[in-house]
Amino acid sequence: MTQPSAVAVLLSDLFPLVWSGLITGCLYALGAMGLVMIFKCSKVVNFSHGNVAGLAAFLVYGLSSGVLLQLSWGMAVGVTLVAIVAVAVLTYALIAPLVFASDLTATIATLGIGLIAQGVTLLVFGADIVALDLPVPPFRATVLGLRITGYDLTVLAVALVTIGALFFVIDHTKLGIAFRAMSDNPFAAEVCGLSLKAVHIFAWTVAAVLGVVGALLIVPTTFLSVTTVAVFMLQAFAAAVVGGFTSLPGALIGGVLIGVLMNLFTYYVSPEYSSTFLLCIILVALNIFPNGVLAAAGGGSRV
Amino acid sequence: MTDLFAIRDLSVTYGAGAPAVERVSFTVGAREVVALLGANGAGKSSIMKALAGLVPASGELLFEGEPVSALSTRQRVARGIVYVPEGRAIVGSLTVRENLILGGYQVHAARRRERMAMVLELFPEIASKVERAAWRLSGGEQQMLAIGRGLMAGPKLLLLDEPSLGLAPLLVRRVFDRLAGIRADGDLAIILVEQNLQMTMRLADGIHFLRSGRIVGHRHRDDLRTGAARQEVIDAYLGAASHHAA
Repeated sequence: MTQPSAVAVLLSDLFPLVWSGLITGCLYALGAMGLVMIFKCSKVVNFSHGNVAGLAAFLVYGLSSGVLLQLSWGMAVGVTLVAIVAVAVLTYALIAPLVFASDLTATIATLGIGLIAQGVTLLVFGADIVALDLPVPPFRATVLGLRITGYDLTVLAVALVTIGALFFVIDHTKLGIAFRAMSDNPFAAEVCGLSLKAVHIFAWTVAAVLGVVGALLIVPTTFLSVTTVAVFMLQAFAAAVVGGFTSLPGALIGGVLIGVLMNLFTYYVSPEYSSTFLLCIILVALNIFPNGVLAAAGGGSRV
Repeated sequence: MTDLFAIRDLSVTYGAGAPAVERVSFTVGAREVVALLGANGAGKSSIMKALAGLVPASGELLFEGEPVSALSTRQRVARGIVYVPEGRAIVGSLTVRENLILGGYQVHAARRRERMAMVLELFPEIASKVERAAWRLSGGEQQMLAIGRGLMAGPKLLLLDEPSLGLAPLLVRRVFDRLAGIRADGDLAIILVEQNLQMTMRLADGIHFLRSGRIVGHRHRDDLRTGAARQEVIDAYLGAASHHAA
């Protein structure tokens, strides 16, 4: 009788693990979609994504905790978003001359910008670990044996609204048409009189905002250090790879897949080898479906 | 009559090599169709790209009397200089409608809707397929979409680069029928680069012959009726002396 009950115990954990993986996966998806937007448009893998989002999380912390200022949380987020959009525009301004010269040089330049962001974070906030909470409604419920918290629902709601809004803009607005034209055929976009730089800046700023949203939502599950968000973005990077790096819906699915798989691996196998497992996922994805899960499933996508 | 577009000493050089276009000068009057004829590599497409602001060039460009050589492609489109590239360069993943919106990107929304109705009336072939992804259109339909997209910007001058490329003869005729119609209706000048002699001679008011990046001759439409003029056209087309052409 002991054997079946062990299996039952293992399986009883499965549902909550998948659920929490789904929640974190939504956040990986936010990060991944930012990477994909920049890559589709500028053909640059933005390695500064994690460190800039990390700087943003620290800014929110600094502005709301009294380290820099004593603002309300919402005010701090508002100020941070403005600051990070400025950073994104500045980043693009710095690498724009490289984007049009060589994709590879521009990609490597983002590494440098990431290091600068990390350096600024260290300089201003130090190397200490801090706590940054999210003002979520104190909600707790159990549905079919699944514990659902206010945090879970907040993440789901914010992710759904953000991703929904992004897809709406890209699918149904003139700006979205410009973005899709840029990523499919930049020459045609230029011939039609589009400002390539304006479309690039749109992608970079949206990506930066997605990064900040992802960072602010992930930090409460752990703590905030100089490397927390960069590590989080590593998972987002894997999510983007699983999605094929050029598909926004692919990045969404990749994010959720990575979230669930990492959760299952950490729980059932070993938390120590989770980074190894992540790299294995990247390798397997690149070998088996280099164009992403959606392309492998025969779906493909317009965005 | 003042010229709509005056091109003076236009030169295009890629890298350190010999110039692809060297001191080319010609003018385009209002509602005039000027064709550039020459063999492959004679510099036709380079001229078109330079006029559209897509490649760096030297020389003076006066559009409606104002210098435009320092303007970006976007600014030139806003002024009414619109390029319809060789190979069509439609955006395959966008629908027909979205491609047309892209063409009228800088135009006010109400005006864009008007123009779209006009373009779809002009090209009934694509009017029934507005929600279809552009890559699913046939070659002829894609060419019509490319021209339609160019018209969406409300051009005063259309730079039309090889509209017959890769099309079956029947479709070429249909595309040129439409172009003749656009010309008759609108207040539009065209610079045409084309390999199809018969169609070029049908549409153009004048032809400039290009060889190795230079203009080596010019004929007016009425002059093209003589045998000598036709021979000159054939020479320019083949990029060879007449005895080679025989």
